[in-house]
Amino acid sequence: MSVKYIPVQWNPNKYVYDAVMLAAVAAFLWFFMFVSPDLLAHDRPITGQIRTARAFGACAFFMLTVILCIGPLARLDARFLPLLYNRRHFGVMAFFIALTHAYAILGWYFSFTPIETYEALLSTNTSFDRVRGFPFEILGLFALLCLGVLALTSHDFWMKFLTPPIWKALHFLIYAAYAAVIGHVALGVLQDGHATGLTVAFGLSGALVIALHLAAVMKDRRAGDPAASIAQDGWEVACHADQVEEGFGKVAVLSTGERVAVFRQEGKLSAISNACSHQNGPLGEGRIIDCLVTCPWHGFQYNVTNGRSPEPFTETVPTYDLRIDGAKVLIRSEPNPPGTYVEPVAATPANKDTV
Amino acid sequence: MSDKEDPFFVGYLPAPKSLRWFLAGVSLLLILAFPLFSWAVSVTQEDPGPSGYRFDFGRQTLTGTITLAPYPTLHVTEGSELVAAGETILLAGVGKFGVANRVSDFDGALATLQGIILDRGDLRMLQVAGGRRGVMAAEGEAPTLDIEPLGRWRLSGEICDGKCLAGAMRPGTGIGHRACAQLCLVGEVPPVFVASEPINGHEFFLIGTADGAPIGRDLIDFVGLYVEAEGEISLRGGMPVLIIDPETVESL
Amino acid sequence: MSFAATLVLMAEIWVWIGLAISALFLTIGIGRVDEDARGAYVFRPLLVPGIILIWPLVLWRWWIIETGRDDWAKRHQPPRAFHAQAWMVLAVVIPLIFLAALAARQSTELLTPPVLLEAPQ
Repeated sequence: MSVKYIPVQWNPNKYVYDAVMLAAVAAFLWFFMFVSPDLLAHDRPITGQIRTARAFGACAFFMLTVILCIGPLARLDARFLPLLYNRRHFGVMAFFIALTHAYAILGWYFSFTPIETYEALLSTNTSFDRVRGFPFEILGLFALLCLGVLALTSHDFWMKFLTPPIWKALHFLIYAAYAAVIGHVALGVLQDGHATGLTVAFGLSGALVIALHLAAVMKDRRAGDPAASIAQDGWEVACHADQVEEGFGKVAVLSTGERVAVFRQEGKLSAISNACSHQNGPLGEGRIIDCLVTCPWHGFQYNVTNGRSPEPFTETVPTYDLRIDGAKVLIRSEPNPPGTYVEPVAATPANKDTV
Repeated sequence: MSDKEDPFFVGYLPAPKSLRWFLAGVSLLLILAFPLFSWAVSVTQEDPGPSGYRFDFGRQTLTGTITLAPYPTLHVTEGSELVAAGETILLAGVGKFGVANRVSDFDGALATLQGIILDRGDLRMLQVAGGRRGVMAAEGEAPTLDIEPLGRWRLSGEICDGKCLAGAMRPGTGIGHRACAQLCLVGEVPPVFVASEPINGHEFFLIGTADGAPIGRDLIDFVGLYVEAEGEISLRGGMPVLIIDPETVESL
Repeated sequence: MSFAATLVLMAEIWVWIGLAISALFLTIGIGRVDEDARGAYVFRPLLVPGIILIWPLVLWRWWIIETGRDDWAKRHQPPRAFHAQAWMVLAVVIPLIFLAALAARQSTELLTPPVLLEAPQ
């Protein structure tokens, strides 16, 4: 959480995360650039610049594949959430690796010509009407631009300024980018490489990403957040009081489409928006630590009675009016403005008449 | 609701003990998966072929007869350790440029050229050095070139730029290299047809058009693909030349 | 001017406008739209490339916040359903692209031996 923005916020977990990521990327590039030439043992080896471009391109593809697996893995098994925590560093790194690939290509295939480099990139191969010989470089350029938008708008400032929903919508570009990258690879390197291993490596990567996302979609359909049922004017039944355990939340989807998270703290129930103000992470899947609801994504914290982050932090989430009817927990459909205090409600049937 | 029993990770707090082994395992898996993918992709790269710059022979000084059409060639009269007299080699400039404008005054005349040789099998090209010493007039009588017609052929193979094919880039063929080859051809580097099987022992044919002009966009669009094409083949001073019929070029 | 040259020129113009807007936004705008940015200067240069890429969006948001049109409720309405829709489409599109490209791939088996059509005269 931030008070005043700084370029990068570090903590020990991020250091470990980045160290693992850098080690993995370094191992990839080292193997490709320095080990594989000896294994290939070509009489006249592949030109160094081309090998470098290939190494960085393949590495960016694999990084993108891993990054895209993190989201659905965390949906399928919460133990993967720590991988989500610092995913943006992974993404920014992937952008720079992809950028290096692009520069290696531009500085080699599209240089030493009378035509200016970028103009050459856009004008040389114009066979858009065919699959074989399609200007696959343009797909790579598109993906790189998408990755650029993602990486360069990854600072927390952007989330707050654009609002998390717009920021997320912008970052959905990653999906278009991945499809473009698959096209870039399949219409480029796979056209020349007749080795089965190459096709299998790229094909399996794409299949893994698709399978994990579909599995996460199916899990959400099967065991996603239940819908609230409308009770009386403007109130909806979110859950039963005994479903909310001390220190934990229970999520329901209101008729407005918004999600509410009902928490129990010291025996009393409170309801706040399920969407964290940082990145709209699912607060209801977090838990109360030190009297504060803690987001499972990045650990942003809120007082459950007023939706405010503890001083000196300034984040707020909307709260919801809540009352008890027998065992039912009723929530007013319309949220209160972020930071509005709502008296917690004792969750015992005896309490219902006093609400 | 999150499961009560599950460990809960908060980024700025120490990781829960029960998660540490899991995360260590995932980290190890990632550190192994990256080089594994690197292995799968890197060791399947194909051999770019026996081509390349012959820096091992240093800068060459060759004298011979320049022919401009279809693309500049040098029929060597005074060779070197690497290039014997009597051979005909292709000419290109530094970068993705041909040398037509630099040797235009020497069509059918003798000239002394300096530069670096690139070769691939019987395909040889001189990358003519920049500056005045790259192209110099030479004294003497220029021998006329023998032209031996080999007839009209239908070939299948690939249209490449002669310079990258000869080893300026390894690999210098195929789809991945397509745009680069197209830029070379736009820059009037001599195009070469790589035939599926040799004809009279030759598998590389300098491509020309009937009017002697550089090849146009209609042919450049086929670069890097396997194509079929028809044309007249001849040996000009020993150099295999295909005068291609653009209408017959088809992608396979 | 060729189409490609026009595109490159347009991209250059886009970048220059973005630079001008960065200068304006990072000196005047940012403190007005976000209290956390007041007095924080070191992180601002980091935002320049992002502003250059998406300056129309920056101008729009700046205008929304300046004119008090920002709707707090919308901040808490994540587009969660989009993930499922996107992957339903991508689960078809990605394999289609991949398989189409593999189907179009030329095998060396397509190559045939040369045929003499007409012997030399």
